[in-house]
Amino acid sequence: MAARMKLKLKTVFVLYFMVSLMGLVYALMQLGQRCDCTEHDMPKDRTISRLRGELHRFQEQIRKSDVTKQPQKLPAKPTIFVITPTYARLVQKAELTRLSQTFLHVPQLHWIVVEDSPHKTPLVSDLLVKSGLAYTHLHMPTAKDRKLQEGDPSWLKPRGVEQRNEGLRWLREDRRAQPGGDNQQGVVYFADDDNTYSLQIFEEMRSTQRVSVWPVGLVGGMKYERPVVEEGKVVRFHTGWRPSRPFPMDMAGFAVSLKLVLANPEACFDGDAPMGFLESSFLQGLVTMDELEPKADNCSKVLVWHTRTEKPKMKREEALQAQGLGSDRAVEV
Amino acid sequence: MPKRRDILAIVLIVLPWTLLITVWHQSAIAPLLAIRKACHHLVKEIFIIPERLAVRHHRLSDDGVEGKREAGGQAQDSKEYCASDKDIVEVVRTEYVYTRPPPWSDVLPTIHIITPTYSRPVQKAELTRLANTFLHVPNLHWILVEDSQRRTPLVTRLLREMGLNYTHLNVETPRNYKLRGDTRDPRIPRGTMQRNLALRWLRETFNANSSQAGIVYFADDDNTYSLELFEEMRSTRKVSVWPVAFVGGLRYESPKVNAAGKVYGWKTVFDPHRPFAIDMAGFAINLRLILFKPQAYFKLRGVKGGYQESSLLRELVTLNDLEPKAANCTKILVWHTRTEKPVLVNEGKKGFTDPNVEI
Repeated sequence: MAARMKLKLKTVFVLYFMVSLMGLVYALMQLGQRCDCTEHDMPKDRTISRLRGELHRFQEQIRKSDVTKQPQKLPAKPTIFVITPTYARLVQKAELTRLSQTFLHVPQLHWIVVEDSPHKTPLVSDLLVKSGLAYTHLHMPTAKDRKLQEGDPSWLKPRGVEQRNEGLRWLREDRRAQPGGDNQQGVVYFADDDNTYSLQIFEEMRSTQRVSVWPVGLVGGMKYERPVVEEGKVVRFHTGWRPSRPFPMDMAGFAVSLKLVLANPEACFDGDAPMGFLESSFLQGLVTMDELEPKADNCSKVLVWHTRTEKPKMKREEALQAQGLGSDRAVEV
Repeated sequence: MPKRRDILAIVLIVLPWTLLITVWHQSAIAPLLAIRKACHHLVKEIFIIPERLAVRHHRLSDDGVEGKREAGGQAQDSKEYCASDKDIVEVVRTEYVYTRPPPWSDVLPTIHIITPTYSRPVQKAELTRLANTFLHVPNLHWILVEDSQRRTPLVTRLLREMGLNYTHLNVETPRNYKLRGDTRDPRIPRGTMQRNLALRWLRETFNANSSQAGIVYFADDDNTYSLELFEEMRSTRKVSVWPVAFVGGLRYESPKVNAAGKVYGWKTVFDPHRPFAIDMAGFAINLRLILFKPQAYFKLRGVKGGYQESSLLRELVTLNDLEPKAANCTKILVWHTRTEKPVLVNEGKKGFTDPNVEI
C-alpha cells in the first residue's frame, strides 16, 4: 500500500511540475510579444491622439505664420535694440533668466548682451540660445583699475561703461552694413540686468524720434524720479539728488532713436565722468532738454523700476568649502 | 520524515505558480508603461512649442490689431519643427483671439500657483516681473493672496491688466500678536495665513471626486522661476521635489536621491534632519492629495525656523513617496532671489514725490 502510494505521489508530482514549467515557459514567451489588451489602452491612446492633434495644429500654425510673413511690402515695426551689460556673479543666471522672460513678450526686440569678461562664458551663451530671443552676444572686459573690488560700495566706480560702449560700437557697425543706411528705424535702450520692466514701456519707447524719457521707480533715494512735463515739453527734472545735472536721469529712464546713434558716431559713455553724470555724458552731445519726448502719459506713470537684488548669503557655503565639502561645482547656478 | 516531504511538496507546488503570476502581471503592465512614456514625450513637445508659438502669436496679432504686417521677422527655429511634418493629413484652421497667455489646453493639468504678497515699495515691480514669467506658462491659475484687510486697488488693477487666469484673495496677519505663555516667538511666520487661505479656497472650490487634474505650487513673489520648472512639476503624482538655489546659506540645497531614484535625505547644512529640509519653492503637490487630506495646513504657531514646510508635508506624504524632478535633482530651475529694500532717504518726512503716482 505504502509503495503504491509513493509511486502515485511521485508521478503526480512530476506531472504537476511539468505542467507548471510549461505554463511558465509559455508566459515568458508571451512577454516578448505585443499584448492584445485593447481595453487597457483606451484612455491613454485617446490622450495620445489628442495630444498629437494639438501638436500638429500648433505646427501648422507655425508653418502658416511663416508662409504669410514672406510677401510683406508694408514697413516693419521699429526694432528695439536693448543693450545689457552683465557680469558673472551668483545671481547672474537668475537675473538674465527673468529678464529674458520679459523680453520674450516684446515683438521686434533685439537683445545685445555684453559680458564684462575677457571671453564669452558658456553660462550666458547657453542661456541666450535657449531663450528664444533674437540676440547678439558680445564681451568686453573692464580695465582692472576701473573695476569695483570686493567690498567696494556700488557707487564708487561707474559700472557697465565699457560694455555699453562696446554694444554701441557693434550696433553702429552692424547697422551701417544694412540697407537703408542712416535712415533706419530703430530704438536703442540700455537695460540693466537687475531692473524690472513692464511690457508697456517697450511700446512707449518704440515711437522715439530723437530721445524719449519717462519716470523710473525706486531710484535716487526716492519712490520714483521723473521729468516734469508742461505743455508736452520737459521743463525740469524731479529728482532728490543733484538736480543740476544736465540730464539727472537713470539709465533706464530714456531711449535713443537708432538714427541719432548712427548720426553721432562719437557719442558714447564717459567712464571718467563724475558720479551720476554717466547718462549726461552720453546725452549731452545728442539732444537738448526741450527736444526730449515725454512718454508714459506725460511722465506720470511708472513703467520701469530700478530694483536691485540682494547678494545671497554664502556663509555656510564658504565654511563647507574651507573643509573641502563645497557644493558640486558642476551644477550651474 | 513525511512532514519534511510535505513541506517540500508545498514549496514545489507554490513556487512555479507564484513565478507564473508575477510574470503574467509584468507582461500586462509593460505595454501600458510604454504608452505612458510616449504620452509624456508628446506632452513635452507640446509644452515647448507653445512657448515659441506664443511669441509668434503676439507678433502676428500685434500687427493684426494695428493693420500692419511684419517683413521677415525672426523665423529662427520654426524650421526644425516643420521639417518633419510632411505627413500631416488634416489641416485644422484655428483662429486665435489675441490672448497673452497661451491658449488653454484641455489635456494639460492646471498649475495652481499660490503667492502671498504684502504692500511695500517693490511690490508692484515684483508682481509685474512674476506675471511676465507666468504669461508664458500654459494652463496656469494664479492665486494671489494679499496680507491686508482689504484687496488693494494696486493689485486688483495689475491682475486685471495682465490677462492671466487668477483668483484674488486677502487675509490680514494679526501683527504683534502675543500668545499667553508662548514667549519664544509669538509671531506667525510671514505668508502662512495667506497660504492656508488659498488651500482652503482650493478645497472649497474643487470637488475631490472631479477629474480636474491640478498641481499646487507655492511661489513667493521675489523668487526667480525658469519656464522649465513648470513643465517638470506638471507630472507630479503626489509630491515632487527639486533643488533650490541660494537657500540655507549655500549655492543650492537639494534632496539626496539614490540610484533607484528615491529621495533618502537632504543635502543641506542647516538642520538636515528636519522631516522635509526643503524650501517653499522646492516642491509641488498634486491637487488630489490636497483634497483628500482636508486637514493638512501649514502650522501657524510654535513652528521653529525652517520647519514650516515640514509642518504641511508631513501630513501629506512620506519621504519614500517623493518624486525627484530636474534630472534627478541635479539641475537648478528655481532661484531664491531676494530684492533689496530700496533706500528712500530723499523722500524725507513729508514725502518728496507725489503720492498719487503708483509705483
